[in-house]
Amino acid sequence: MRQTSFKEGAAHVCFTAAAALSIVAVALICVFLFANGIPALAEIGLPEFLFGQTWKPTADEFGIFPMIIGSIYVTVGAIIVGVPTGIFTAIFLSRFASSGVARILRPGIELLAGIPSVVYGFFALMVLVPLIRTTLPGNGFSLLAAALILGIMILPTIITVSKNALDAVPKSYYEGALALGATHERAVFRIMVPAAFSGIMAAVVLGIGRALGETMAVVMVAGNQPIIPESIFSGVRTLTANIVLEMGYAADLHKEALVATGVVLFVLVMLISLLFAAIKKRGELS
Amino acid sequence: MVDQPMHPNKSFRRAISHLLTRTPKCAVALLISTLLASFALSACTSPDLENETISVYSREDGSGTRGAFASLFGLETKLNGKTVDTITPSAVVTNSTAVMMTSVASDPAAIGYISYGSLNDTVKALAIDGVVPTTESIKDKSYKVFRAFSLVTDEPIDDIDTADETQTLKADFMRFVASAEGQAIIEEAHFVGAVDDPVNYDRAPASMRPSGKLVIAGSSSVAGVMEKLAEAYEQLNPDASIEVQQSDSTTGIAMVGAHTCDIGMISRDLTQSEQDSGIVATPLAFDGIAVIVNPNLPLDDMTSQEVARIFSGDITTFGELPSWQQSVNQTNPNGA
Repeated sequence: MRQTSFKEGAAHVCFTAAAALSIVAVALICVFLFANGIPALAEIGLPEFLFGQTWKPTADEFGIFPMIIGSIYVTVGAIIVGVPTGIFTAIFLSRFASSGVARILRPGIELLAGIPSVVYGFFALMVLVPLIRTTLPGNGFSLLAAALILGIMILPTIITVSKNALDAVPKSYYEGALALGATHERAVFRIMVPAAFSGIMAAVVLGIGRALGETMAVVMVAGNQPIIPESIFSGVRTLTANIVLEMGYAADLHKEALVATGVVLFVLVMLISLLFAAIKKRGELS
Repeated sequence: MVDQPMHPNKSFRRAISHLLTRTPKCAVALLISTLLASFALSACTSPDLENETISVYSREDGSGTRGAFASLFGLETKLNGKTVDTITPSAVVTNSTAVMMTSVASDPAAIGYISYGSLNDTVKALAIDGVVPTTESIKDKSYKVFRAFSLVTDEPIDDIDTADETQTLKADFMRFVASAEGQAIIEEAHFVGAVDDPVNYDRAPASMRPSGKLVIAGSSSVAGVMEKLAEAYEQLNPDASIEVQQSDSTTGIAMVGAHTCDIGMISRDLTQSEQDSGIVATPLAFDGIAVIVNPNLPLDDMTSQEVARIFSGDITTFGELPSWQQSVNQTNPNGA
């Protein structure tokens, strides 16, 4: 009896410690980011930092507005490319694909999730950028290239989460629709997809988070000009690219401004997580 | 095919044939015509190069290569009391030599710049004001585009306390890199030694050879040659061990300041605040900066003024360059 309670206690301590570790890590990152970023924000001035149009760290001009817009443009582009493709693939896999097709598609998608982002970047640099350069205006390093590669990179997240949501819809919904005379297509698109809507939205939000935070692939193909892009063929710099590009040589206020860029990114990602939680909650309520 | 017995992959094959027959023919036609158009376009880029927008490739703000490039081509101005470069903000920015070279090698209208030590034949280095960058032309300073690599320590080398093992090793290693032997290794790596008349390395007698462990950290531009220097030094002094960690100039300086490394490697100048904190820089080598273009560009020479005007965004097509007009007239005397 004592033996069991000792084991119980030890296990309890172990599991609590493991859970605490992740919380502590998040807390430490928060503390680090804000402690290092807030002084720079105060020195530069929040409006100047967030809405300043010029980023010229050597002249002490730290305006990240072009990068905020850049991140939003690239993420929206990735959504346009990745979300319809991802959702349709999920619907196909969940309701239309024969077992043979699914047997090939599913490992393919899992493989897509396992490819390191630098490999995606290299692929885009060697294939997408020259293709855009020869067929479309500009030199290829563009918003379009970044959006395309990010659109592909968020596919596995969107497909997997949407498919799980679709698979979780009770079978009786589908059978009920068929019993009322609906065709297979009508049952899927009018009954199953709406029923899985909150799950699909969660997939989209997770994809947005992934696109917003992606760095390596974007840095390699976006051109990284710190100006607001004029068209989808112009270069663009995202918040993540700004940090990773200049961290190596930054000193003093420049370095702190990059940490402050991280703070802005952190807040954005946090807002998206809150959105995700809100959508999930709504889904559970309905 | 129809008479074949049931195959396990039948459903898959059916799906594929279903897909093929259902795909609208016009989509296939569109795809093929797009591909053809892209080939046609890429084939005719050469004659149009004259009027095509030059793709300017640059390094990130704060990079040693960028700073040196801007100051050597006079691409600098004063803003808020600070020196800033005037490289056009529409230049593509990359923080890696590899991406820079891949881009320039595949973009016919590209211009960029890299360290002379990293140059290979996937790209073409332009002669500047008639001088081709070579180890000799960098050494005799006729090629004017070069920057300094330095080692940083937390105190001047002459002040080093020789009673301490690591400090003795540090001082001896610094003497080695500045010696004739050390400078020869630097030149093998396509850099140019910063010491004018290096003396031979004064190797201590076997009983008094320095021992212990030295950590050297900092700029990745310097780390490659530093590893070779460390290896040669360890052969001369088998009891000493030298560890080279590559990150970047700022990290190297920060590590020297925090005493987590003994010597830092930098490829940029020290900032005022770094100098004020007592960090001392000792020049190690000079690195030429090559202005690179696509190997197929029919242009081998540019004046420094032309390079400056391209990078400041003043000139946006090759046709506007005086040296382009010259080289076109040379190759084709009947042309306009």
